[in-house]
Amino acid sequence: MNHEATNPFKRLVKLAARAFYDDISTKGDNQPKTGRSDNRGLVVVVLDALTRRQWAREEDLAKELKLHSKQLRRTLRFLEEEKMVSRDHRKETAKGAKMYNAAIAATTDGQQNGKEHEEKIKLHTHSYCCLDYAQIYDVVRYRIHRLRKKIKDELEDKNTVQEYICPNCGKRYNALDALRLVSMDDEDFHCESCNAALVAESDKLAAQDIGDGDDNARRRRREKLKDMLQKMEIQLKPLTEQLNRVKDLPVPEYRGLQAWEAQASASARATHDDANGSDSFKSAQGQGFGGTPMPYFGETKVEVSIYGLEPKEEDAKSNNASTPMKVLPPWMIKQGMVLTSEQRGEVKQEMKMEGSSTKTEILDDKKSSDEYLKAYYAAVYKMQQERAVQSQQESSNAENVNNGDSSTSNRVVGMKSKRQDDDGDDDVDWEEVPTAGNATENFKVNDLNVQAAASDIDEDDVDWEEG
Amino acid sequence: MFFHIVLERNMQLHPRHFGPHLRDKLVAKLMRDVEGTCSGRHGFVVAITGVEDIGKGLIREGTGFVTFPVKYQCVVFRPFKGEILEAVVTMVNKMGFFAEAGPVQIFVSNHLIPDDMEFQSGDMPNYTTSDGSVKIQRDSEVRLKIIGTRVDATEIFCIGTIKDDFLGVINDPGAAA
Repeated sequence: MNHEATNPFKRLVKLAARAFYDDISTKGDNQPKTGRSDNRGLVVVVLDALTRRQWAREEDLAKELKLHSKQLRRTLRFLEEEKMVSRDHRKETAKGAKMYNAAIAATTDGQQNGKEHEEKIKLHTHSYCCLDYAQIYDVVRYRIHRLRKKIKDELEDKNTVQEYICPNCGKRYNALDALRLVSMDDEDFHCESCNAALVAESDKLAAQDIGDGDDNARRRRREKLKDMLQKMEIQLKPLTEQLNRVKDLPVPEYRGLQAWEAQASASARATHDDANGSDSFKSAQGQGFGGTPMPYFGETKVEVSIYGLEPKEEDAKSNNASTPMKVLPPWMIKQGMVLTSEQRGEVKQEMKMEGSSTKTEILDDKKSSDEYLKAYYAAVYKMQQERAVQSQQESSNAENVNNGDSSTSNRVVGMKSKRQDDDGDDDVDWEEVPTAGNATENFKVNDLNVQAAASDIDEDDVDWEEG
Repeated sequence: MFFHIVLERNMQLHPRHFGPHLRDKLVAKLMRDVEGTCSGRHGFVVAITGVEDIGKGLIREGTGFVTFPVKYQCVVFRPFKGEILEAVVTMVNKMGFFAEAGPVQIFVSNHLIPDDMEFQSGDMPNYTTSDGSVKIQRDSEVRLKIIGTRVDATEIFCIGTIKDDFLGVINDPGAAA
């Protein structure tokens, strides 16, 4: 989620937390309040922490806040009742946790690598919680509205139905019952059940200490209410301003836990995709040697590297991080070669670096190294053969050097070199190692192509040079 | 608020009324039965203005009574929240006062009476301003606003306020007394 859009909402949550939940203690009423167990302000802390997260697992949250999980759960339950937080509980195995971890990794900074593998397989009920920004906006507005309405109604004595209470039995009546309560003997209202005189009930804010009745008291009460209203307006001003600011902004939506996870991992895939689009070399490597570095295969490659071959992917990643320069795709390099010598020179330099680094990296990669080496040396051998052919062709056009192939057409050369490729696998293995070390620049450039695949592309390339 | 609506009712007529004036008898009985009643749904039936249709009578087994479905037009009065009414004060006590607007009883509690009016007990309990210029007592006419209604199946009761602009006494209490 982009932070610019959610920041006003986060600020709103923080303001609301401080305005309404600052002195709320989530302790049960039956427990004695001691200095230690007084957890006022905890709600604010939890809400603040949640503004920095999206869906958070409650265990993790408790750990990070250094709270007991029971304490946190009590607070969260309170917040859920207050409609500030939405929660989700589910039984899950390590796989579910992995999904969540992946989603978290995607939303925090990406690049978190396979920590999920260490997770043990066990079935647990996990609770997750998340701020429900849309609802918070409504809840805060409603709360302010109720506050204001209560004071205003009392101030104006408007639209309020007077309530009466029986001092004897505690039965409550309101003004709508008046007709039944009136008695013929005196001017009081009388309780239906015990016939005691009713008293007007005052659950008023201001009437508690000032006895209402005489004119003077009423005036004082009004003044007090006015004062209270004014104070409230002043104190809630930052909050109301924030509400107005947020009014027209799109609300950050995290929806359900599942949906959020799905979305987060999807976006993660998308970013991976971007990274890999320019880096088909890496993905091809992750896929194993046989991969073709075609740009339009990018998507499928990414899929495979995420789900199937994560350790390899890590390797590639670290490699990638250390030498970001060399992620140049092969087809670019070919063009450079063909076009100008300057470009070729640049490319060559890069390629030199790359040639060495890829070699070491490949050695690390145990699984594909055998295959790779074979193909690598085969390609090297082939290259040298081709170079030999080239030079000989230059010297004497009509002469056939290798396998009696005299044709200059692209196709035939390609076929021939392929066959050589196969041969190379068999007989040319370790003899060629030194040549790889002191090979020419030209060889190294082509070497890149060979790394990816000993395919038609490099043959074509060679042919262009010939032509 | 008054409405002119069409209602329907099944009238049972005693066989002794069967004869040349059956229809008149039926309408007279309808008026006796219906006018002045109150239903929670439609309010008070004030007057029947006409009979639209009298259906075929059906003789009830055993009794000989005949049931006629009757459609009639009538004026009903139903109070609504927020409505302004003029009412006559019927009783004043320290809790407030009761008033009647036609068939409807309205109670105005003392905290919905303007703050400058004080309750005066005595022979003729009343609410009076400090300068004595305005007095609410029995038979005073007041304009009030309904702020709450209680609608039962056969009864409607309202509470009102006179604590607003242009509400309060609308005649001279001295003249009325």
